[in-house]
Parts: sequence; structure tokens; C-alpha cells
Amino acid sequence: MLDLNQYRDMMAKCSHCGLCQATCPVYLEDFLQTHLARARVDLIRAVLVDGEIPVTKRFREVLDRCLLCTNCSRTCPAGVPVDEIVTAARDQVYQGKRRNPVRRRLLRRFMNQRGMKGLMGMAGSVAHKMGFTPEDLPAPASKPFEKRYKGKIPAKGKARARVAYFVGCATNTLYPDTGKAVVNVLAHNDIEVLIPEGQVCCGMPALAEGDLPLVQEMMRKNIPVLAGCDVDAIVTDCTSCGMMFRAKAAKTLPEDDALHPQAEALAAKVWEVTDYLNQVGLSIDPPALSESYTYHTPCHRGWTPTVDDAPRGLLGKIPDAELVELENPDKCCGAGGTFFMDFKELATDIRSRKLADIHQTGAETVLTQCPACRSYLRTQLKDGRVTHPIVLLARAYGI
Amino acid sequence: MKGLARDLGRMVAKERVRTDPEDLFAYGGDATYYVRRGKPDAVVLPENTEEVSDVMKFAFHNAIPVTPRGAGSGLSGGCTPLHGGIVLDMKRMGRILEINRRNMSARVEAGVVLADFHKAVKKEGLFYPPNPQSMNVCTLGGNVATRACGPHGVKYGATGDYVMGLEVVLPDGSLIAPGGLAARSSAGYDLTHLFAGSEGTLGVITKANLRLLALPPAHRTAVVACESIEQAGDTVSEILAGGTLPAMIEFLPQMAIIVMNNYITPPLITEGQAYLLIDLDGTQDAIQAQADQILGICRRMGVLDIRVIEDEKEAETYWTARSNLGAMLLTVMKKAINEDVAVPRDRIPEFVREIQNMASTLSKVVLGIGGHAGDGNMHPSIFFPEVNKEAENEAKETIRKVVRLGLSMGGTVSGEHGIGFHKAEFLHWELGDIQIRLLKRIKKAFDPKGIMNPGKLWKDGR
Repeated sequence: MLDLNQYRDMMAKCSHCGLCQATCPVYLEDFLQTHLARARVDLIRAVLVDGEIPVTKRFREVLDRCLLCTNCSRTCPAGVPVDEIVTAARDQVYQGKRRNPVRRRLLRRFMNQRGMKGLMGMAGSVAHKMGFTPEDLPAPASKPFEKRYKGKIPAKGKARARVAYFVGCATNTLYPDTGKAVVNVLAHNDIEVLIPEGQVCCGMPALAEGDLPLVQEMMRKNIPVLAGCDVDAIVTDCTSCGMMFRAKAAKTLPEDDALHPQAEALAAKVWEVTDYLNQVGLSIDPPALSESYTYHTPCHRGWTPTVDDAPRGLLGKIPDAELVELENPDKCCGAGGTFFMDFKELATDIRSRKLADIHQTGAETVLTQCPACRSYLRTQLKDGRVTHPIVLLARAYGI
Repeated sequence: MKGLARDLGRMVAKERVRTDPEDLFAYGGDATYYVRRGKPDAVVLPENTEEVSDVMKFAFHNAIPVTPRGAGSGLSGGCTPLHGGIVLDMKRMGRILEINRRNMSARVEAGVVLADFHKAVKKEGLFYPPNPQSMNVCTLGGNVATRACGPHGVKYGATGDYVMGLEVVLPDGSLIAPGGLAARSSAGYDLTHLFAGSEGTLGVITKANLRLLALPPAHRTAVVACESIEQAGDTVSEILAGGTLPAMIEFLPQMAIIVMNNYITPPLITEGQAYLLIDLDGTQDAIQAQADQILGICRRMGVLDIRVIEDEKEAETYWTARSNLGAMLLTVMKKAINEDVAVPRDRIPEFVREIQNMASTLSKVVLGIGGHAGDGNMHPSIFFPEVNKEAENEAKETIRKVVRLGLSMGGTVSGEHGIGFHKAEFLHWELGDIQIRLLKRIKKAFDPKGIMNPGKLWKDGR
């Protein structure tokens, strides 16, 4: 389980080579060693494990000023899981109280409902119109995905596979168009889609808060729901939900927990939808679509070796659609869940580099599998220019 | 030091002066932190030469130690603030000021990251060869200060060979600019190259003028599996004496290949005792001619296997695996210490054999060896399966033996990492008392108060 004491050996593996300086988006803006993985990990050890330095406001700032983007972990030749160490440290320091009780209650409600329902949703929508929510937060869709699609969606032809679709909060609330494309493209390609009832948020927002009890609450709801599906694979359109189930879920539960083996078994079946389609292949060749697009790789991509490249492979099958590569497709956009609200200036600086890169491509459409990147980039680009890769494929199919 | 933050805040913007315990902790050292770390009293991140000069004037007046640093990726503890004082983090001075295609030169600030510089000159069709394996993060200032090198050394030489001129802030804050942008200079003592390798003990390097080459149009990688270390050594000698000069020629032991195989498809055969990883560069015709010659030599030597990788993207996976080797071994080991003893090229097989004999007598740590075979710059490395007092002692003793062995063969204690504090004792062995005394007098001439990076190069470091 995410417990700092269990990461002692992993922390010791950091050789202080400093290679994390090449990819940490925060360090590349701040140029301060303290805000770099090697120092963060070492500080966490010194403060929380060995008690050499007390917990201070500055230490909490060092803990918080991390996007959990996992770029350092992927750069680290020794494979130190920095994001998990930071998460475990947040858990230990904040014990679920990183935010005030009202905000935590709201988050819990949001996660359980995969969005804001009823009055809360309306209130959110009205507040947004009145400019009360942070400017970079998109307005909720008029009708959430779960109100549009339910149960089983049959394959168009003879079903060659059957998948369960885990619908993340963002797709459900903000981007039902992504969900619609996922369902339609899968069905169009002879794959039966099951939308399991009773799913809640994957738990990532709570994990980022270091709020392990809340993550476990989500796991206790999601795991039985997903494990109970008789399917070939579980697909999600969101790389962070995917990472959560594939790489983190089992780690958030105690090893002797009854759900632990189920979480592990489930992990192997989880795919991001473009990655999945790229693996099983399309059964119908997409028609031509004259559109230029560029691809921003989400940071949460290390959980499978193929997810980062999947959209390139899949969309490369659309005749006439032209990929214009970013100079740095792998660089973070600065969103980091709700990081951009806590560190507005820093996130804006990180984003401005991404935007400059995007503008240079001259591409009509920007694709990314992460809804947080999508919404954070969207406000600075023409509306609708940023979308999920699967939406482009659906567009090519005309579905 | 009370009031230090306030005083420094008058010279440099407050947010670029750090004195919180967490920040001081983060600036305790480099990749040798496990040997020893220091604790500065303040960290300053200057953005221009004037700020560096102001800080130095202040430090000189108050006799406060100053330790300049780049990326802190060093392997000898060169930027560890052993005596506290001010750490000058040069990373915010990261501008490439000029790339001059007509003069084949560049002007850069000290904090420019090497890989970024590589990329920038490549865009102009030019080439800057030094490529220490920390190139994705290490800075040009740090490279100059340690005369860093990397696998390109065999054909292209080390950083020192590319430094045409410098801008340096002396300990009292005054500014000098030895050298220039001319390809040649016979103007008196060569202070430029005295600063190259001075490891921050004489002044703060703020800018550098660097020589550039034309970008070789093509590359090809080859891996040669040899049945013995001697065969690998002889093959290297034959290749070089035969007139072929590869851009890189790396010596890798069996153990390295077993680890690297996780990152290479298809995996290499593991029967070899030693491997050569070779990069050829030049025009396609020139590469073909070199490759033919090398293949001929390898066949004549009766090596076990030769693999030629034509695709440059695929070849990159080999070189990335090579760069990450040391750190990759940390996925199975708890700790590593990397040395960089260089020996005359013809003594490599003997050196490696002796190291392996030494390795077989160890019980607490593992001793491995690889290195840049073309220029005899070897990397004996010590790995800890467990970290404890006995292992530490065995490691310490082994390093001393390795260094003595290298010196006995006419080698040097450091081929490219520099001395720092980690090898200070060994520098005495290599240079002897008279030379050390001379170095101290040179240091005194530049740094009469002994405030520049004290504790480095020789044992008392002043």
C-alpha cells in the first residue's frame, strides 16, 4: 500500500544523477533544485521518514508544487516511483485534510456522482456563467454522458469482442462527445460495449490530494463493478483513469484486503481506447478525412508501453488526415488535475510553451487523450479545436 | 549567517535568494551525495554577469565561501559546499548568445544545458562533439569547469579542445575575458585553459566561446562481441592503428550487455566476455569504407559476433541503453560509485583483467568495468547489493586499489569527471608534493582569501 515506509528502498535507489532535470515541467520553469524529484524525494525521506527536518510550510509547498505528471519517474534510469512517493507523503502529511472540509465534501460528492448532478450541477453551471469558477474550468455539458448512453451497445456486425467502458468523470460531465465517439467507433468496428452500472470516479483526484481513504472508497465501488463484467477488456478514454486502474489501484489497497487480488487481475485488462483499437485492429477502414491535426501526449502514459504512440498508429489509417508533429509532443501542458488552480502563474507559464508549440504546427485540430489537458488548452485555443483522438476517427467514419 | 538573505537580496531579486532549510538541504551536493554532503548558508540564482560580480564582491569583502554549480550531475563532488557559504546556481544563466556559422563558433552562458546546445547547433548544420553521458542535464559551464568529455573523445577530444575563450568573474568581483573567438592564440599564459578544469576554485565561469565543427551527415552503429577482454583490446588497437577513427568506441563487459538487453531488440548474444559498441560518422561513402575495414579486422581477429545497425532510430536505443547503464544497474543494486581512471590505450586489456581479478576477491560489493575504449578512459564502478559499514569500507579500499593500479600503468586518476573532494587524496598520488604546492600558489594568485569552492582538488583544499 502507499505507505512511505514501504518506499524506503525505492527512495534509496535515487543516485542523485539529476537526470530528472531534463523532464520535470516544474523544475524547467523554476530552475530550483528544491522543486526537482531528486531533492523532493530526499527531503521527503529526511522530513517524514528519518525526521531530520521538521514539517514546515515550505516543505508542504515543495510537496504541493508537484504536478504528479510522472515525467521524472519515466526519465529515472533507476525507476524511482516519484509520484507514488509524493502521494504517500501527501497522505502522511495531510491525512485527508489538505483542503478545507467543505471542499473535501464537495470532492467526495463529485467523485461518487462522476460529476455534479441536479441542483449542484445547475448551481455549477450558473456559477460558471457568472464567472465564479476558475476561468480555465469548462462549463458542464447540458446532459451528462450517462443520461445519453446506458447498458449494452451492440456491435454493428457480428461481435468479435466485448468490452466494458469505464466512463471517467470528465467525459461524463464535460465531454460526452468523447464518450459518444468511443461507443460508436467500437460498435462500428464490431465490438460490443457494456457500460457497467454503479461505476464512480477512478479515484485519481483523491490520490493527488493524498487522500487514501477517499481513493479506497472509490476502489471499493469500482472494483466489484468492473471485476463482475464478463468482458475481454476494460476500456477508458482517459489516460489518467487508465493509469489509475492499471498501475495504481492495487497499490492503494492493503495487501491483505479482499479486493486486492481482484484489483490486480483487473489491471491487466485495462486499456485506453485508441491503444486497444490499435492492438485489435479496425475491422472497417476509415474513409478519407481532409484534416490536419497535431497530437499532445498526456503525461500519464507510462502505464503501457504503447499508449503514447497509439493515436499516431490508429489515426494514421485515415486517408488524407495529416499529422503535424509538435516539436515536443511529450511536454506537459501544466494542468495537472487541479494543479493549475493552486499554482496559476506556474501552470500558465508551462502552458504557454505548449501553446507556442501548437501554434507553430498550424494544425487545425489538437488531439490528446487527457480531458484535463483538453480543458486547460481549450480556453486558449479556438473552441472545439482540442478533442480526443477517437473523436477524429468517429468524424472520419461519419458517426 | 544572520542577515545574509537580506544582504544578498539587495544584489539579486529576493525570490532568487534562498535560505529556507529545505532549499539549503536541496543544494547539499551532486551525484556523490552518498559520500559526503555539505550545507550552504544561502543559495543564489543569478541571471547575469553583473549579479555574479556583485555577489562575488560581497563574498570577497566578507570572506564568505562561494561554490558555483551547474546541474549538480557531477561524479566527484565538485559543487558540494563543504564549507557552507553561498552556492551560486548558474542554471538561470542559460542563454545561447550566438551561433556563428561563418566562424564555426558559439557564445553561450554557463547555464546552457549541453543537449539543448547540441540541438541548437545541429539546426545550423553544425556539431559540438563533447557528450558526457549526463548531456541531457549537464551545463556547458560545468563541462568547461571539469573538462568533461564522453564517448566522442576518441575522435573529437574533450571540452577543453573546444573552448576558445571565457568570461570569468574573479573572486574579488572583477571581470576578465581570456581567449576570444579567434581559432589560434599565442598570447602569453593560456588562462582560458587554466580555467577549463579549475572546478570553480579560481573564479566563476559566466560565459564561454566554443568551437564548432560541421555536422557529420550520417551515422552507423555496430556492436562487436569478443570472446575475451584481450581480443576486445586488440581489436580496438587494430581498428585505430589501421586508420579508422570511429566517432565512439565503447568497451562493455558481459554484465553490462545482460542489463542492456532489456532495452535492445533483438537481444545481443551474451557469450562474449567483452563487447565493443561503435559509432561511425561521416558521409555515407566514408562510413561504408570504415565499416568494411572494421568488419575485415573483426573477422581477422575471429570475434564471436558483429551486428551492424543501419537504422539511426534503432541505433539510438543502443546508445540510450549505454548512457543509462550505470543508473539502470541501480534497479538491481542499492548504490553505485562510478570512477573514471584513464590508462594508456595499450594497457586496457591488462587493466581490465586486473580489475576483474580484484572483483573476484570482493565479498560485500560488486566491481564492474566499462569505458571509452578508444581513449583509455575507463569506468570502474562499484555496486552495493546492500549498504552497510563493511561494504562502505570494502568499496573505499577497492577504489584506492583501482586508482593505484591505473597510476602504476601511467594513467590518471580522472579522465573526465574531475577531482572535486572525492579524488582529492588521489590527486596527491598523481601529482606529487611539488606540483600540488605549485597548484596552491596558482590558486592563491587568483583567490588570495581562499573563498572559491574551498575543500576541493587537494586535501585541505585551500
